[in-house]
Amino acid sequence: MDSTLFIVQLINGLQYGLLLFLIASGLTLVFGVMGILNLAHGSMFMVGAYLAWYFVQQTGSFAFSAVISAVIALLIGFIVERTLIRQLYRRNHLDQVLLTIGMIFVFNALQGLLWGNDPLGVDVPQALSASIPLAGIIEYPVYRIFVAVFCVVVAGVMYYVISKTRLGMLIRAGESNREMVECLGIDISRLYTIVFAIGVMLSAVAGVVAAPISSIVPGMGEHILITCFVVVVIGGMGSIKGAFIGALMVGLVDTFASVLVPELSSMMIYIFMAFILLLKPQGLFSS
Amino acid sequence: MKNKNKILNTALLGLSLVSLSTALVAAEQDPIKVGVMLPFSGVYGGLGEATRNGLKMALQEHAADLQGRTIEFIEMDTEAKPSRAPEIANSLLNKSHADFIIGPVHSGVAMGMIKVLKGKDTIMIIPNAGVNAATGPLCAPNIFRTSFSAWQPSYPMGKVALEKGFKKVVTLSWNYGFGQESLDAFEESFTSGGGEIVKKMLVPFPKTEFQSYLSEIGSIQPDAVFVFFAGGGAVKFVKDYDAMGLKGKIPLLGAGFLTEGTLEAQGDSAEGILTTLHYADPLKNEENQTFRRDYADKFGKPSDLYAVQGYDTGLMIASAVKALNGDISDQKALIHALENTKVKSPRGDFTFSKAHNPIQNIYLRRVENGENQVVKLAASALEDPARGCSM
Amino acid sequence: MLLNKRAERLFVWIFFPLALLMPMFLEQNEYYVNKLTTIMILSIFVMSLDYLVGKCGLITLGHAMFYGLGGYIFVMIAPEYEAVNFWIYTFYICAISATVAFVIGFLVLRTNGIYMIMITLAFAQMTFYYFSDSIDFGGTDGVFVYVKPETSIFGLSLFDLDNPTHFYYLCLLSLFNTLLFFKVLIRSRFGRLVDAIHANPGRTVALGYNIFIYRLVSYVVASALGAYAGYLFTLQYGFVNPSMLSWTTSGTALVMSILGGMGSIYGAILGTLVYEGLHYSLEHLTEHWLLFMGGLIILMVMVFKKGIAGFLEDLLEKRDGK
Repeated sequence: MDSTLFIVQLINGLQYGLLLFLIASGLTLVFGVMGILNLAHGSMFMVGAYLAWYFVQQTGSFAFSAVISAVIALLIGFIVERTLIRQLYRRNHLDQVLLTIGMIFVFNALQGLLWGNDPLGVDVPQALSASIPLAGIIEYPVYRIFVAVFCVVVAGVMYYVISKTRLGMLIRAGESNREMVECLGIDISRLYTIVFAIGVMLSAVAGVVAAPISSIVPGMGEHILITCFVVVVIGGMGSIKGAFIGALMVGLVDTFASVLVPELSSMMIYIFMAFILLLKPQGLFSS
Repeated sequence: MKNKNKILNTALLGLSLVSLSTALVAAEQDPIKVGVMLPFSGVYGGLGEATRNGLKMALQEHAADLQGRTIEFIEMDTEAKPSRAPEIANSLLNKSHADFIIGPVHSGVAMGMIKVLKGKDTIMIIPNAGVNAATGPLCAPNIFRTSFSAWQPSYPMGKVALEKGFKKVVTLSWNYGFGQESLDAFEESFTSGGGEIVKKMLVPFPKTEFQSYLSEIGSIQPDAVFVFFAGGGAVKFVKDYDAMGLKGKIPLLGAGFLTEGTLEAQGDSAEGILTTLHYADPLKNEENQTFRRDYADKFGKPSDLYAVQGYDTGLMIASAVKALNGDISDQKALIHALENTKVKSPRGDFTFSKAHNPIQNIYLRRVENGENQVVKLAASALEDPARGCSM
Repeated sequence: MLLNKRAERLFVWIFFPLALLMPMFLEQNEYYVNKLTTIMILSIFVMSLDYLVGKCGLITLGHAMFYGLGGYIFVMIAPEYEAVNFWIYTFYICAISATVAFVIGFLVLRTNGIYMIMITLAFAQMTFYYFSDSIDFGGTDGVFVYVKPETSIFGLSLFDLDNPTHFYYLCLLSLFNTLLFFKVLIRSRFGRLVDAIHANPGRTVALGYNIFIYRLVSYVVASALGAYAGYLFTLQYGFVNPSMLSWTTSGTALVMSILGGMGSIYGAILGTLVYEGLHYSLEHLTEHWLLFMGGLIILMVMVFKKGIAGFLEDLLEKRDGK
């Protein structure tokens, strides 16, 4: 591999990694604060992509679609937490697994009913549809750069909110000692609702942002879910920083594996995860 | 004389009450049972639905050919899960006693079905799955296919590529049986004419993150790229190919599935792609024109390749039933009738090879204004070599 | 008393005699015999998982790895066109998968909780991709088993595996033995320690036990039984496919086990029956079966807090109380 190709692949890996971070961040946030293992997280990624498609069809505006999809996702998160997840706080992880698998079935069925099973696509918004020449005949789409920047911004905002704001303080407190927060007169159940809804929204927003550079198909959620878990576990469950580092690592490993060891490329991220966990059984940045 | 014999089975500890009614009616009035094993949910759900629509449409149109016999459909969702395939095939065979079993879309499911149905007292007709083995080493008198073998659509593209003056080509596909068989077929005709495959890339199935592969293609700069992808993967690949600036610089060739049922989602990115396939939506023949109009009227959406394949499966059944005057009880005679069917398909007439695979035309198509326009006939009456079939 | 719960006794006394007689009622219909056979094979698989998850507290999302291996090991080591001996190959397959489980368990059991879930998943995914990418074993299309094993012991052949009814009884016997085996295991000193480790690992260590060994042995045993179930599944239709190894297979088994009632062992049969029964009924009723299946699963989590087995136990105890 010559050096230009190496740099191109590096950019590919980082860009993929950043997108993975955006999807995985909600998962790790919800687990970290609430201790809920949400297997339906990938389904919300799918829902986000389908919503984006639907609203772009209706209105033609990608920005508007992104906003309205995010709002709908927040609502879904709110309703799901209030009606279902809430019942399970005092039950064990396995019941959560069962519940969220049931939710995957329901979301998949609804997707089939509402939008059918044909592959769909969303056009890249006009303003971002250009490509910039990179090396030789290769060009790099501006939209992918936009996605990368967007993911970095989200990471920055999350970092700011968690470390500098009152909500973030509560989140951190809730992570380390739930009873204590309750004793201090904070309504922890409201905090949980907010966190869960935000988690769902992050996943759906990732789906929206990824829509123009992916094909929108049934089952896209489950596929991304497993990769997300790899990311989150490598970084350490519940750690946003870990998810960020983990996502970049997975993005790079996956990209370079497909070039350097194509025979093993499908297994590589799992080999990598197993390796990390054997060295650090709690992931890289577990609290 | 009507003698209804109801056996009630209290099975599964009363958890699911299954009532099985076997109606012993005089043979002529007995409905013909058509088991349908297609994916109706998940990634392949759209294909399953189109196939079923086509199948039903053909049998309704040719109701008169059925010599007064009605059709009873038993539909099962395969979910495209190979490990469930034997069980479902078994249920259609032993529980429903289906005369015909139509399916599937997915090659892995086809393998599971063949395992159960090969040599049994039913006719299996494959309306899509292209795994070469089905009409190769695993061929059997009671197994037919109305679609294609993986070899068929890709083989003619090798010659087309040579005609266009391409010498060095990169091939790319998902790493699974059908994809590899497609690449092999292309390679077979391309290298035998002096072409060179500079690199063969296999992407883990069902991964759709293509950036690293595209970057490599950009740095190799071959004369052309030949790919096999279908459905969602095809949409993503074509869009990424364009976004990485390769479109217009390195011609993209593919087995026709690259641009089937995906053009709307691919948008402008697909313009100019050359593919070979046994069908193209705008084919000018009369059957196709009528078929497309009627299908759109009936189902409220445009027809596609999968609908055609389902339709042809229906035509085939109707024609065999007609030839036998409605009496399909003799399996040998039925197989004989099916073998000799000449299907007047929207894709053009086709017949069956000894291995029960269609002998059919393959068209070279080019995407123009969001449609697969026929450029020319890439191969006429092409027969799959049926390697390994001893029938 | 081996069966200590009333619900359990009741279930075992109803299920097995009924299952024993079932083929007589279903003689006309090979399909139902086959369907019940599949359910029993799955029950063995789910039961081995239930022991791991419910009894040992070792949550794995990679159990399908052994289910698939059971089939693939057979394809790898058995000659293609020659009938081998069923019992000998049972031994081989269990031994090989136990060895694999020993090595993997050695690595995996150093983690716990969600990390263990993920690392087991990682190994299962590696195996899945290994077989789905390998053309030698048919890739995603899978492989056929052309000749089924014969089952003679000392020249006496009890089961003809090509006969669905015979195969049914072989699976029923296997299921019964598996249940018995786990019940005896749980009652033994070993089982009590496993219980103690599950309830309080720290204290068990303090008492001077090497909990790692107990966990490892449990993992190896459960994995070998999982592989045995996969071997039976492969023989039933003579077909192996990588989808046996996929994470959804592990996930579904986990769902069945939780539905049945974690750690109850016999609940594995209940969970599998209910899940498969629902799946079967719903898909025959409606094309949108997925929606109802999901809805029912959600409903059941809400209603049956300790699974169906727990629900039945509570029901019977309430009646006793009155």
